[in-house]
Amino acid sequence: MSAIKSSMIEYRHVHKWYGDLHVLRGIDLTIGRGEVVVICGPSGSGKSTLIRLINRLDDLSQGDILIDGRSTAGLKGRGLRQLRAGIGFVFQQFNLYPHLTAQENITLALRRVVGLAEPMAVQRANELLDRVGMSDKRDSYPGQLSGGQQQRVAIARAIAMQPQILLFDEPTSALDPEMIGEVLAVMREIAKTGITMLVVTHEMGFARELADRIVFMDEGIILEDAPPTEFFLDTRHPRAQHFLRQLLSPLHTASE
Amino acid sequence: MGISFDWAGVLTGEPAQWLLTGILTTAYVTLAASLLASILAVLVLGLRISPARAGRWPAMTIIELFRNTPLIVQLMFWYFAAFGLLPLSWRLWIGNDHAWARLPGGIGIISPEFLAATWGLGLFSAVFIAEEIRAGLLAVPVGQREAALSQGFGPWAILRHVLLPQALRNAWQPVVGQYLNLMKLSSLATAIGLGEITYQVRQIESYNSHALEAFAVGTALYLIFGLVLAQVLSRFEPSQIAKRKPGTVKAGTVALAMVDAAKGIDCSQGADRGA
Repeated sequence: MSAIKSSMIEYRHVHKWYGDLHVLRGIDLTIGRGEVVVICGPSGSGKSTLIRLINRLDDLSQGDILIDGRSTAGLKGRGLRQLRAGIGFVFQQFNLYPHLTAQENITLALRRVVGLAEPMAVQRANELLDRVGMSDKRDSYPGQLSGGQQQRVAIARAIAMQPQILLFDEPTSALDPEMIGEVLAVMREIAKTGITMLVVTHEMGFARELADRIVFMDEGIILEDAPPTEFFLDTRHPRAQHFLRQLLSPLHTASE
Repeated sequence: MGISFDWAGVLTGEPAQWLLTGILTTAYVTLAASLLASILAVLVLGLRISPARAGRWPAMTIIELFRNTPLIVQLMFWYFAAFGLLPLSWRLWIGNDHAWARLPGGIGIISPEFLAATWGLGLFSAVFIAEEIRAGLLAVPVGQREAALSQGFGPWAILRHVLLPQALRNAWQPVVGQYLNLMKLSSLATAIGLGEITYQVRQIESYNSHALEAFAVGTALYLIFGLVLAQVLSRFEPSQIAKRKPGTVKAGTVALAMVDAAKGIDCSQGADRGA
């Protein structure tokens, strides 16, 4: 497969309100080409919103997000569709199309958005299903697959579009514990290809091993932004310290 | 004193001829109104879910108006009131004998009765079908739309390839129910003089007073119609996701083909594309 092209992302004074709720309060953040950034923080801290703004599943209230130096705040219609087609998004609930087979889940956008001919789309789908270890399930429907298998197909679907950015919104949170490993293994392979990756996750093992940086958010602001060693060994913000303690030993902190 | 039946008074001679005409007329009007209802349902649904207020409001008005008034009143309105508003030359033309527009059984489809019944039944059913499919659309999880958006699909492609196939599966049973209702409701067209089964049954009753036999036969005929129609429609049913095997006809293809045909849009992707 050809060398991965990856993109740079720059948040400029980004704010997001849902009605009166101020979810993101002035985010400034730059993610370099090929960086793997893990975003963590308590629920309701705005981390999902942070990545959903990049491909505009949610609209910006204020500020701008630059991709490779180009503003995206004003994009709509065709320009917005092109932006989205170049950004892979993996959902917590997988969101595979239940009426299509694993293979068809991947070929649909290749044919209808990218415009590939069917044999090409099928070939690429099969390569990717092979890559995520799902080639024997290409004719299965999502309802016939386990959560981990569905998420692997969803990841294959996202990378089939040859995106320059991959966004993961808690990709393992809806999975049974024994299925988390297979999904993380696929993500590890992808992280090594040099694609720009933003991963909202609580999987600190993944963060420690693969992240270039860890961003900790709470109440809509970024409180920590550091490489993993620094983040884990020299956690500066008290709320980040508390969050990590809670993650490592939930019972202990609950009884504190 | 027991009840005695005289089936020959219904199933032979002129009454038998009338019944045959009634059966064919019910079949033709059901078929014509079903086709019309499918086309109108697509139009009404398209307007109802369009992003433009200018589309939604007329659709909502039509839906509420025709869903919440009695069909028999609607049929009478079209036949007695609206028909009279047509230009005289049209009315005369429709009233003429059209040899070319006679279907097997000698039933003319260009007549005020047949046209008003087809139009009335078609429109009445269309608003119900449109609302059933819309409910099916609303039942598709929001994540499906987000997944398609994130892949760069436009609004029409999302509807066509992601939402509608799932909505049609969700709405299948209620929609089939509407087509079955349409067949049964065609009996109301007797009120505007359409010679369908109920009309003929009443004619037999007033001809030889065989009310019990005539209505028994009429009831049996509707029952057969209903069972056959349900059987035919179940052939087109999108199979359930978990039970589907690769290589079967793609879910919703037939219904979508109807949708597309009505909109004049290419649907060449209907064929299965197993590897």
